Amino acid sequence: MTAAAKPRFVYVTYVRTTPGRLWQALIEPEFTRQYWAGTWQESEWKVGAAWRIMIPDGRVADSGEIIEIDAPRRLVLTWRNEFRPELHAEGYSRLSYVIEQQGDMVKLTVTHEIDRPESKFIEAVSSGWPAILSSLKSLLETGESLEATRRWSFAK
Amino acid sequence: MNKPSFVYVVYIASTPEKVFAALTDAALTEQFWHGTRVVSDWKVGSPVALELKHQSKNITGVVLEVDPLRRLVYSFQPHHGDMADEEPSRVVFEIEPQKDQVKLTVVHDGFADGSKVFEAISRGWPLILSSLKSFIESGKVLYPDWYCENASAAQGATS
Repeated sequence: MTAAAKPRFVYVTYVRTTPGRLWQALIEPEFTRQYWAGTWQESEWKVGAAWRIMIPDGRVADSGEIIEIDAPRRLVLTWRNEFRPELHAEGYSRLSYVIEQQGDMVKLTVTHEIDRPESKFIEAVSSGWPAILSSLKSLLETGESLEATRRWSFAK
Repeated sequence: MNKPSFVYVVYIASTPEKVFAALTDAALTEQFWHGTRVVSDWKVGSPVALELKHQSKNITGVVLEVDPLRRLVYSFQPHHGDMADEEPSRVVFEIEPQKDQVKLTVVHDGFADGSKVFEAISRGWPLILSSLKSFIESGKVLYPDWYCENASAAQGATS
């Protein structure tokens, strides 16, 4: 399989904030609950540590392992869906966040990829990430996330 | 092999009226689009000019479709550097109201394989659309380093 055939979602957004604050917003529950469908992540945030996203009703949405962590610049983890059987069946994907300061703003590049063709998982995250990352940007720049992303019902 | 196509979706806490105005009113584009005035009377068949602040030659096009507040399509032809040799590409803006937000989808396609315009717009749109969202939601815009530090940089061409 060529690199071009590997399903991959890439999204770049620029946010008026600092790398440290963006890093916090990506991993700390008090932030993610506001823009990421009420969910929060649990991890020790070190290489090899388990990582998971918790749904407000107590279920696990996604899980994986931390591959690389260099706060507040780069985070790479494996990611498997845990609440939709057809997506769970595709196994582990790879997610990376890259944070670069550019003047008074920060460039965030989110890359989500998987080693299998015709991935329904990548299709699903491709529609989810723009909403979540738009809401994250709103939260950091205006203090308010986008209303539609505040509750789990958005992500079902 | 699929032809190159750029797709970007951004959600904005706003109304279709405000988002459509931001894309079509030169006095507004000039603010968030890094000095670029987007000028047209927005009738199908009319010319469009993207008057770039740091380039002597505009990007030009023709209005292909207008459905006010919903959809806007125009052709896109840079005239600077080696991008001038490429055929015009096509930009599609789709505006979808969703309760208290707007989903804006930008599709830029119609490129040949290996297009330099495609490479340039793939870098440019995320910053322009991030700045648009900031401008509408917070009244503040985002300026890249090159905007201030290197006014004649080639990057300014498509941004």
